[in-house]
Amino acid sequence: MTSCHDLNEDFSSIRKKQNKILLMGNPNVGKSVFFSYLTGINVLSSNFAGTTVSYMEGKIDINGKTYILVDVPGIYSMEAVSDAEAVATRMLEGGADAVICVLDATNLERNIKLALEISQYQIPMVYALNMMDVAERHGTQINVPLLEQELGAPVIPTIAVKGEGFAELKNALGTVLQGGREAGLSCHCPGCKDGSCQCSRLSGGDPWERAGEITRKVRKTSQGKQSFLDLLGEQMIKPFPGIFISLAIMVLALGVIVGGGKALRAALLLPLVSQVIVPFFRGIFASFIPEGVLLNVLIGEYGIFVISFEWIIALILPYVFLFYVVFSFLEDSGYLPRASVMFDNIMRKIGLQGGSLITITMGFGCAVPAIIGSRAATTKKERLMVSAAVCFAVPCISQTGALISLLGSHSMWLLAAMFLLAISILVMVSLVTNKILKGQLEPLIIEVPNLLLPSRKAYFKKLWIRMRHFLMEAEVPMLIAIVIAAVLKETGLLDFLAVFLEPLISGWLGMPKEAVIALVLGIVRREMAAAPLLALDLNPLQIFVGATVALLYLPCLSVFGILTKEFGVKTAVTIALSTTATAFLIGGIINKMGLLFI
Amino acid sequence: MNNIYEVKNNKPYIIQEVPDLKLLNSLGIRKNVQVFKKHSYRLGGPVVIKVDMSEIALGKDIAEKIVVREAM
Repeated sequence: MTSCHDLNEDFSSIRKKQNKILLMGNPNVGKSVFFSYLTGINVLSSNFAGTTVSYMEGKIDINGKTYILVDVPGIYSMEAVSDAEAVATRMLEGGADAVICVLDATNLERNIKLALEISQYQIPMVYALNMMDVAERHGTQINVPLLEQELGAPVIPTIAVKGEGFAELKNALGTVLQGGREAGLSCHCPGCKDGSCQCSRLSGGDPWERAGEITRKVRKTSQGKQSFLDLLGEQMIKPFPGIFISLAIMVLALGVIVGGGKALRAALLLPLVSQVIVPFFRGIFASFIPEGVLLNVLIGEYGIFVISFEWIIALILPYVFLFYVVFSFLEDSGYLPRASVMFDNIMRKIGLQGGSLITITMGFGCAVPAIIGSRAATTKKERLMVSAAVCFAVPCISQTGALISLLGSHSMWLLAAMFLLAISILVMVSLVTNKILKGQLEPLIIEVPNLLLPSRKAYFKKLWIRMRHFLMEAEVPMLIAIVIAAVLKETGLLDFLAVFLEPLISGWLGMPKEAVIALVLGIVRREMAAAPLLALDLNPLQIFVGATVALLYLPCLSVFGILTKEFGVKTAVTIALSTTATAFLIGGIINKMGLLFI
Repeated sequence: MNNIYEVKNNKPYIIQEVPDLKLLNSLGIRKNVQVFKKHSYRLGGPVVIKVDMSEIALGKDIAEKIVVREAM
């Protein structure tokens, strides 16, 4: 059994649990890979600080006994600077049978400093010295037996992405757990055992001083070899040509998603749906259901079995798939923090900071993980600003798919114009929220990780988890929306609603009254605010207005839910009302202005 | 007094004053620590410094508050 818990959730349940092992360490040291391996549970990992902002627990068997392994968010210190660090501190205070502390061999001093802070809690520890391959390539030699002696606990060298060292780590953990508390304790004075430790070796003095001392003893550095990736990483962080490389990667990524998605849809998925799947179901249903409302609901123009395959498989799936192909690669490679550095100056001008770029990029996948991921932000103001920006101007990938199909079907210029409109709205929202919200923004402080080629196994696993998650998560609400669409259309209720909303839809937005269906379904999911427009015969202005309204319209139900959970009902309602009002306002203005020119 | 934002790139510096920010401290950006300034970015962009073996980007507003002297 596994479950993902929330930061805001009550901790008493996990703190009370017996037989706990905590998995801890600096951000971006590979804890999530350890967790997946040790428990067999799939956790998404990436190459930047702050993937695990809530905690995961899973089961692990050691010496025939079952323990609960808790994947604690990555932290730099035990000082509770961010929400994530506060969680880690409270976890440790709750006690555990053992701690697995993951150390990054390429950043030894800082990692040892955290290890010393954790060891003060007097919980048996085992250390995993990870990224040994990268350290060795950079010319770093670490004397492991000496480090063990200094830390007073087992140290196991590992290369997590390749699965090396895990068996040894589990053995060491077994020994420590069997040996009782003393086995993995960092110091062995009598005081330690009865809990009145006064020994100054670890607990006294400045942990930084001690960490520096240990590092100097155990680490030897020589001129390492620079691999192609190291050199590329160096170039990407230089102001020039870094900015051009960053932009080129962004354009390439967009090209792969938009172009590849169109190709996949036209060449493979659309023919598959319209020539194979839909006729197949039509044949089956027509054979035993007489013509009428029921047959129409199932297989008519808006029939459940027509629309669900057309929209989910042909319209949205290709873009979702390619987005995650590209995003998962970029996320694992260490590109995103580099891009954050490159664009920090622009982000700063609109009141944000470069690091928010990672969260906003995540929002192109889905706003829900982006809003959760914004917890890594150190101030509430920044969290709210980024979440608002994502809700307003960043279409999720499903909606992007629908928008590309809608706008791109007419002309690529419409698509480019929509892109510019979305960016201007993002800038406006940031400027406005920066003015209204009280408080300060922390400037950019971000670690630039090594540039890595993602491990093939981890990459495909992640892609698979994300696609499966999308299909399971998206399918139910989409089917609900499709059923609503089919029923509304076939029962005539839609026409009734259309008459009621005509002044808004036709009068102000200049859309045909059939477009009302987009507004109804858009409440359930964002792409549903755009997809139904594809079936209507619209002129370019109507297409653009429809797409604008869809982009800005209500956040979907899941996003509304997560906003309520993270910021409260008031904020969620405020955001939803403002996005919807802006949708109709800007949509209408574009329509009226467009009519002047046409 | 020089701050890390204004000093030249590609040189080692010793930190003399640093804002009391826990995140900076836990990243190892502390008083009397030697750092290496690698890059700075135009139009109010950040600076990238090397602390021990890791590279850290610092936004302009914070970098301007870190006072350094050249290391010998």
